[in-house]
Amino acid sequence: MAPITVFQARKIITMDPNRPEATHVAVRDGRILAVGGADCADQWGPVQHDHSLADAVLMPGMVEGHAHMMAGAMWKFAYAGYHDRMDPQGKWWRGKPDIATVVSDLTDYAQGLPEDQPLIGWGLDPIFFTGERLSRAHLDQISATRPIAIMFSNFHLMCVNSAALALAGYDHTTNVEGVVKGPDGAPTGELQEMAAMFPVMRRLGMDFRGLSQTEDAIESYGAVCMRAGVTTVTDLYSQMEDSDLAVLQAVTGRSSYPARLVPVLGVAGADPETAAARAQALARQGTDKLRLGAVKLMTDGSIQGWTARVKWPGYVGGQPNGIWNMAPDEIRRMVATMQAAGVQMHIHVNGDEASEVAIDAIEEAARHSPWAGARHVLQHCQMMGPDQFARCAELGICTNIFANHIWYFGDQHAALTIGEDRAQRMDGLRAALDAGVHAAIHSDAPVTPLGPLFTAWCAVNRQTMSGRVLGAAQCVSVAEALHAVTLGAAYTLKMDGEVGSIEAGKFADFAILGEDPLAVPAQALKDVPVLGTVLGGTVHLA
Amino acid sequence: MSALPRLPLTVIGGYLGAGKTTLLNRLLSEPHGQKIMVMVNDFGAINIDAALIERADGDTLSLTNGCVCCTMGNDLFMALGDALDRRPRPDHLVIEASGIADPAKIAMAARAEPDMAYGGIAVVVDGENWPKLADDPLIGAQMRGQVQVADVLLVSKTGGALAPNLAVRLAALSRAPLLDLADLPQVAPVLLGGMAPDGVQGGLQGVAADHPAYVGWAHEGAERLERPALEALLAARPAGIYRLKGHVLSPDGALEVHVVGPTIDIKPAQSDSTRVVAIGLASQIDRETIAAWWANAAA
Repeated sequence: MAPITVFQARKIITMDPNRPEATHVAVRDGRILAVGGADCADQWGPVQHDHSLADAVLMPGMVEGHAHMMAGAMWKFAYAGYHDRMDPQGKWWRGKPDIATVVSDLTDYAQGLPEDQPLIGWGLDPIFFTGERLSRAHLDQISATRPIAIMFSNFHLMCVNSAALALAGYDHTTNVEGVVKGPDGAPTGELQEMAAMFPVMRRLGMDFRGLSQTEDAIESYGAVCMRAGVTTVTDLYSQMEDSDLAVLQAVTGRSSYPARLVPVLGVAGADPETAAARAQALARQGTDKLRLGAVKLMTDGSIQGWTARVKWPGYVGGQPNGIWNMAPDEIRRMVATMQAAGVQMHIHVNGDEASEVAIDAIEEAARHSPWAGARHVLQHCQMMGPDQFARCAELGICTNIFANHIWYFGDQHAALTIGEDRAQRMDGLRAALDAGVHAAIHSDAPVTPLGPLFTAWCAVNRQTMSGRVLGAAQCVSVAEALHAVTLGAAYTLKMDGEVGSIEAGKFADFAILGEDPLAVPAQALKDVPVLGTVLGGTVHLA
Repeated sequence: MSALPRLPLTVIGGYLGAGKTTLLNRLLSEPHGQKIMVMVNDFGAINIDAALIERADGDTLSLTNGCVCCTMGNDLFMALGDALDRRPRPDHLVIEASGIADPAKIAMAARAEPDMAYGGIAVVVDGENWPKLADDPLIGAQMRGQVQVADVLLVSKTGGALAPNLAVRLAALSRAPLLDLADLPQVAPVLLGGMAPDGVQGGLQGVAADHPAYVGWAHEGAERLERPALEALLAARPAGIYRLKGHVLSPDGALEVHVVGPTIDIKPAQSDSTRVVAIGLASQIDRETIAAWWANAAA
């Protein structure tokens, strides 16, 4: 008989209504054997007591239902973002509130680089800067000889220095859309969209494929999760090839690997029948720590990029309606094929016209191929109102809501994108729960940092960067928010029978916290320290 | 890097069911003499004569004529990098954009990348359904956008004649040549230029000689033009030339020129003479007109 370990904690938040709180949890074979007091597992045989977590608060390991593996490996590059941010090793990197700080911090960073290596940065978001735009003149202050490229947080733009421009052959004669030029006719260093960025990326070896699937990328993603209290994490547009499977299985299979990974296969542009067959084949290759078989569809773009498809009255600045990355016809065909094949779908929908098309497609597919347990998930759901949530409830569609947007972009949405009225109802977890929809909330890391306690804080407080509360009627309680980042998200991955709460039979996956998130003021929820995680009974300390 | 000839890229746009795949099947089967690499999203509709297929492994289909067809996977630009790094480098790269995509976002890479040459954007217009699609409240803007960025518009399913109202709508959006696919004896001259990869020296291989529907013109000389003068000359080219390419000497070193429909792309090059080839439809232009226009270069 395998040994029984009984972990003692200051408090255990179980998310199990039958026993909401406990002080001890017993683990055998990586699973929860019993929950309660010190004697909770005595009826199962001799136990070993582990007091190492006695001062900590345990809650179910959190579940991130929408993030991307590159959130780990991005840290191979220099962080240039506005907000303070922690790397996979737990080191905090200072946010850069202005161009001067970008230049000074990256100058320091460059001193640690070999002479012949380019300086590559990421995470810059000029939406937060006032005044002049970042240009090659600023980056040339860091180095005139070392090529420098700073990727913006939206991955659609970058700024490079003169040395990088020269490598790509960009000069005053260049006539390429996306190579921005100044009044003097010379490139400013800003490059817009992939075509213009491609020659620089190719010559600087900026390999985004290498930020996923490699052993290093999988490992650092696990480290990021552990420091955020996450034990189950998605890679929500996996571009894995069949040849990547062995690496994924090997790395996640190590007992030192601290997370259960759920790669969701991107299928935009693919032939529906082929993609469905591939998903079904992958589903059979899963393990306890690697779950496969779901797919991700695209629809529209992003609201802050004005590429989301929004219903009337459109964008406040009069921008044209956004773009489809999969045509509605393709979406309908893909949805019908996946529904018929029994493949669960995660569907990207930012604007309310996109969510409507997705809901319509699922409704139509369900008439032809009824499937009560499909649990398809709309992802982002940023502009959905009560009417669309009601339809999701009718159809059994789950929603994973982009709560972090309220803090990061809420002010911009009210002022610049969809206007005050619709910004108030954005990312409406309250409306979803009231409609009876199974709901989760997410970070979309690396778009915003992985951190479910922060994400929960956003849903509870709905505070923006300027300090205002955006749509107080959509605030939820701390308990509801914690449910969304545990059982709520687990439900969307069809893993609620295995993770998401601390109760007998489930995997022994816990978040180790320094304080009780249910006891601190709601405003302090984001500041509750994460000390590490327990995965399958193995402790991983930050 | 400069030792290898630039890789020309042609992008095929157009909505689902317009006939992009049919066009690619035609292209791969024609005797164009080029080693083309075709990248598609999936093989679903690719239907090559089995006799042409040399071998099929995984995501690549190798043809007996030296062409390959492969799927590009999720990351188009990574696939683009892989195509550039392929040895031997293909003579021409053709990418099938997805039905809703803006083909210019892909084709612009050929103008940006020093190792690539601009081969243009060919948009296949569904002669039956396009007007309805262009008015669709959800996708109409993107359908019209594809036509706006096209360098050549290829109309399918015309049933023998281009509907005048369709032609008017397309002309209002685009200055690109409008061709009925059913009228084209070969598609390679339109999509690739039809010239041998090494330009003039290989001659206007096959195309102009074999197909009276096309006019080919080739010129070699010692003209030397400043870049602004070259740009002005190209801007004044006679209507009916839908492809022109070559090297032109200039005081600051040679320039490589690619003209496709309304688009002009110029990059630095190495050459010891001015060599230019052009192609048009015989019904629209003759060799003398082209020669007379180019004579201005020496003036």
